[in-house]
Amino acid sequence: MIKIKSILKKIFALILGLLTVFKHAFKARVTGEYPEDKVSLPKTFRGKHNWNASKCIGCKICVKSCPAGAISIEKSEANSSFRIDMNKCIFCGNCMYYCPKSAISMTDEYELATDKKENLIFEINSLNSSADSNIIKDE
Amino acid sequence: MNYLYFWYLDFLSKHNIPEIVGDITFPILPFCIIAVAIILCVLFLVLLERKILALFTQRKGPNRVGLWGLLQTCADAIKLLTKQNVDVKGCDKFLFNVAPVLVFVPAMLLWGLIPYSAEFEFMGFSISILLFVAISALPVIGIILAGYASNNKFSLIGAIRSGAQVISYELPMTFVILSVVLQASSMNLKDIVLAQISVPSIGGWFIFTNFIGFIVMLICAIAEINRCPFDLPEAESELVAGYNTEYSGMRFALFFLGEYTMLFVMCLFLATIFLGGYLPLTGKYISEMLFTNSEFLQVFIYFEQAIWLFLKTMVLVILLMLIRATYPRLNISSLMNFSWKVLLPLSIFNFMIIAIIKYFVDGGAL
Repeated sequence: MIKIKSILKKIFALILGLLTVFKHAFKARVTGEYPEDKVSLPKTFRGKHNWNASKCIGCKICVKSCPAGAISIEKSEANSSFRIDMNKCIFCGNCMYYCPKSAISMTDEYELATDKKENLIFEINSLNSSADSNIIKDE
Repeated sequence: MNYLYFWYLDFLSKHNIPEIVGDITFPILPFCIIAVAIILCVLFLVLLERKILALFTQRKGPNRVGLWGLLQTCADAIKLLTKQNVDVKGCDKFLFNVAPVLVFVPAMLLWGLIPYSAEFEFMGFSISILLFVAISALPVIGIILAGYASNNKFSLIGAIRSGAQVISYELPMTFVILSVVLQASSMNLKDIVLAQISVPSIGGWFIFTNFIGFIVMLICAIAEINRCPFDLPEAESELVAGYNTEYSGMRFALFFLGEYTMLFVMCLFLATIFLGGYLPLTGKYISEMLFTNSEFLQVFIYFEQAIWLFLKTMVLVILLMLIRATYPRLNISSLMNFSWKVLLPLSIFNFMIIAIIKYFVDGGAL
């Protein structure tokens, strides 16, 4: 009698499993169609860097704090530039956190894939940049 | 079949083609129809399986090629056709080439035995159910040959597993089929369908009078076509791909075709012997209500019967896909235990019960 009860219990569990899986057919999809509809990013997302030339004082704390050694900075009266190698960058955000004047910020841009390594070295120049300091691809 | 035969001869005589040409070409036509139907059906089934598995796992499934990804399987087929056929070093070349054909051809033959409607069945034998059981066990020979000829230990283990599995699941299946034959008092599939006619529309289906048999048969059918949770012959995580590890290109496509053809034809068979075959769910044919004109009725009633059979088959196919999405793979020892210790006694017990009931219902006359 106990054996029959346990067998019935197992059969019930099997049917319950089928129903549980079947229920999932009516739930919302967890995957998206990537290039068409993108996922909404969190506020603290760390993407490609942005550099504000007017705020920067050239203290080079960002260069020292970068664990990957991806940043190099030049500051002079005539021309100042911020150069970052995305091949090395690990998107840790240290440069952003340690900047005393918060001249470096990180944008939401994450689609950086290219077919050439050179395309991933970005340079922001104070001469070319406008007030909102656009990012120019290094030739 | 007679109706179609005369219609075909009429069609030929209208175009001044002698009758003898019709006589010769008529038996060839079903095979052309089956060949085209299989390709279309498999293309559709693979897409359906991927879409339905995606549905049950909360994904989207293929959605890139064509509208809603409808052409995905066509693209896959073209890819397989244009791939290189790699010959393995040290393989038995003749058997290696013959094995995929031996898997595919029996699956194709089985399509001819099913009565699709009252007048439309390709091979109308009086013992078609026996032939079905015999032919449905043949693909395992191809699988074993593939495993032996590949000169690869994964293939061989997969093939041996498949052989053991099919032999142990064939027995309970045959006992269940025997009980169905007993219920219908006939070995002809069409007579078995006709035996399920009853006044309340679905009361006469053998699934209600022989429920244990249906469950056993469903499990055995899944095991016979090597699907989840009985897909031990091609267990990806243990045996790479089992018996078709060394196959590529067109030969692999033949294995693939055979697998899905068997899936569909097994569901057709289950629908025929347990779910009333081409009988309507509504008790009365819908075309009988729609068309009072007898000429229209004569044509549409056969189409309607085929559509009923197709719908019942699709329900079973989706059930098998749900089972694949739910249950994990069995251990090889528990697979054997389950067949010999549970299913075989259960099917024999069921057979005896059906025999006793049949004896008393028919008033002691067998």
